[in-house]
Amino acid sequence: MLDTLTQVETPEGTALRLRAAGMLPRAAAWAVDFGLRLVIVWMLSVLLLMLGEAGMGLYLIVLFLFFWFYPVLFEVLRDGQTIGKKALGLRVINANGTPVTWLASIVRNLMRTVDMLPAVYGFGFVAGLIDPRGRRLGDMVAGTLVVHVEKPHQHIAAPNVPVVHPAMALNADEKAAIIAFAERAQQLTPERQRELADILPMLSDARGSAGVQRLLGMASSFLGRR
Amino acid sequence: MKQELFQSHHAHEWDALEQWLTVRGRPRHRDRARDGEGVNGDLEFPALYRRICQHLALAERRGYSALLIERLHDLVHRGHLVLYRPPPPHMHRIVSFFAADFPSLVRAQWRAMTVAAVLFFVPLLLMIGLLQWRPELAHSMFDVEQLAQFESMYDPSDKDKRLGRESGSDVMMFGYYIMNNVSIGFRTFASGLLFCVGSIFVLVSNGLVIGGVAGHLTAIGYGEPFWRFVVGHSAPELLAIVISGGAGLQIGMALIAPGRRSRGRALVEAGIIGAKLVLGAFAMLVFAAFVEAFWSSIGWMPNAIKFSVGGSMWLLIVLWLLRGGKGNAQVIA
Repeated sequence: MLDTLTQVETPEGTALRLRAAGMLPRAAAWAVDFGLRLVIVWMLSVLLLMLGEAGMGLYLIVLFLFFWFYPVLFEVLRDGQTIGKKALGLRVINANGTPVTWLASIVRNLMRTVDMLPAVYGFGFVAGLIDPRGRRLGDMVAGTLVVHVEKPHQHIAAPNVPVVHPAMALNADEKAAIIAFAERAQQLTPERQRELADILPMLSDARGSAGVQRLLGMASSFLGRR
Repeated sequence: MKQELFQSHHAHEWDALEQWLTVRGRPRHRDRARDGEGVNGDLEFPALYRRICQHLALAERRGYSALLIERLHDLVHRGHLVLYRPPPPHMHRIVSFFAADFPSLVRAQWRAMTVAAVLFFVPLLLMIGLLQWRPELAHSMFDVEQLAQFESMYDPSDKDKRLGRESGSDVMMFGYYIMNNVSIGFRTFASGLLFCVGSIFVLVSNGLVIGGVAGHLTAIGYGEPFWRFVVGHSAPELLAIVISGGAGLQIGMALIAPGRRSRGRALVEAGIIGAKLVLGAFAMLVFAAFVEAFWSSIGWMPNAIKFSVGGSMWLLIVLWLLRGGKGNAQVIA
């Protein structure tokens, strides 16, 4: 299966569709986080090492926190997104679609130890390529999933044109296709609109812009406008 | 109902949810007051969210346009993330975790814990005993520079060192112990996922090395400064490594012998248990690092105090692990 879409049923009885993220964007997000941590730790080290041996101790504690707890804190407190994941539009969630919990996040991040083996996330990468939902070993143990964050959609209404009643009866799928065409029409160039409308001369009984207008009119009628 | 009518009936509800999610979906800390008067719409949110779940189901069933379904799906997904957000950790949960849940969990996993303790303490004690009988074996374990380094750290004739340090270097060593020991604890746990092999390896090798150092220093007559240094933090540190190892072993066992569960299910369950165990071990290791850096390093303290504190530490921690949370009706894990 090439499709990474997973459906999760919520307690409300509706299905959430989640798009699991592949290894490439996740590696990129990790690289962003890694670079960021490197820069911050480096800047702190310059500051702290001026404080002598006590500063060295603090530096080691900071290093420890950044290495083990940076991802956990961000994932739980910032809606499943470290800075790198946010930049790449990714989010960690529990496999049932709920926000990732403390224990799950701790497990998936501690398990990086194993995913990192034998070098540069070798095990994690192979596991992610094999698993249909792109989970590395840590995700499997923690029961978590990394998904793409969908951009918020605003529903674009189909253009309000005079209603046209089609000459032949159409089934539900065909009606849905016409409505989808009308709703997306604003995002298409006029040339592309005409090109698409010209596929259906027998339905619209016209070609070119007239055909487009007739299809839009039919969409209005299917949507229930008067 | 045609789509246009449906939209005109319900669009205000969708806009209201969208508005609420934007404003109150993740309120900033200072805005996080309870919404008793209902001005922010927090009280209506669950009902509104569930209505829109129904709208989504209707829209899909009636074959409304893909864009409309996408918008409703987006609202439902965002609402879902807010409604099922994990609660913030409460102080009393943390206290009851350490007082009761963690020790009970350690006892509930007694098989893994026993195996881990055997894998760690048997090589450790064997090494100590062996090096008293055949001290020259130390040279087949460590090379000359390593031995020289251990010896210089605990040399009883060197009055300046005797592990009495400046406070600045105490903080440094605290940082070092945290970074080093806690990371070892975490890795001992995580590497159990490799069919237990990683945890077994870390436990046995640490047992051998620690036993080797202790045995060697005792055999050459440096025992007193060594034991008075380590006795204070030995209990939390060694037991935490054993618990991390046990947590790793039970993950590995979930993979090897999942029983009547699927492997995936068994792994997730073992992962939650392991995370709780490792959290407890983490606290123990931080405590051990604190003791090691700020108590064990005090040079002038008489031996009697050092050893009695170390002994009571063992007693208290073992008692805590064996008795903590007993009599709680609460079922854990």
